[in-house]
Amino acid sequence: MNERKEHLYQVERWALFVREHPTEWKKPHTEFINALFDKHEQFKERLLKTPGGKEKWEKLYGHKSE
Amino acid sequence: MDRLIDDRNILDLFCEDFCNIINKHCRYIVVSGFFAIASGRTRGTEDIDLIMEKVSLDKFKEIFLDLTKNDFVCMHPNNPEEAYEYLTDKCSIRFTRKEKELPEMEIKFAKDLLDEMQLNTREKYELTGLDVWFSNINTGIAFKEELLKSPKDLEDAKHLRVVYAEKINEDEIKIIKQMIRKLRL
Repeated sequence: MNERKEHLYQVERWALFVREHPTEWKKPHTEFINALFDKHEQFKERLLKTPGGKEKWEKLYGHKSE
Repeated sequence: MDRLIDDRNILDLFCEDFCNIINKHCRYIVVSGFFAIASGRTRGTEDIDLIMEKVSLDKFKEIFLDLTKNDFVCMHPNNPEEAYEYLTDKCSIRFTRKEKELPEMEIKFAKDLLDEMQLNTREKYELTGLDVWFSNINTGIAFKEELLKSPKDLEDAKHLRVVYAEKINEDEIKIIKQMIRKLRL
């Protein structure tokens, strides 16, 4: 319960930062979002090199593993 | 639209490129999670939700072709007639960029009075730095608090309430929540 409450405080603190710094929030935010997709691509490359990796990727994302 | 912010992330670019194409043909809105993320919420998503006005099959074929010409691919189904059937059956279809699994754009046709109202009250938000139509802030919050309700959605609503505090209209949110209860629950 406390963990959840603390997380909500963190959400609120960041939202206040965005509100009060309309030109500053975007850079770290962009780095965060792009990092998620970079990780996804890096993981894909690693997985495809493993035995059965291609089949696993196809299970995850259908026919688009080529 | 003046831009406050120049840094575009992968989701921003994907969304703006896609919406620029849709915007040439019909009205649309981006709803739900990406609205919160574009407004600064620090969380990831694999898909962006878009509601477009219901169009004729011929018009939809034009849109489908335009998207395809611009390297977007419908994951399933892969032909416009079948995709149109999905949409008219109140199902969604998903597009990605060619050769990229993620992110995805999930599209639905407007299906009821609530969706029509969202299209009629759509707005662009300078803080997002994006030239994209979003659902009205009060509608977005009402959906997250009354219909979606997951911890993630409630955190999105909290974030939006703080960031757009001056735009919040509690009376309007209350009315939209009543409509949600009547039409969706």
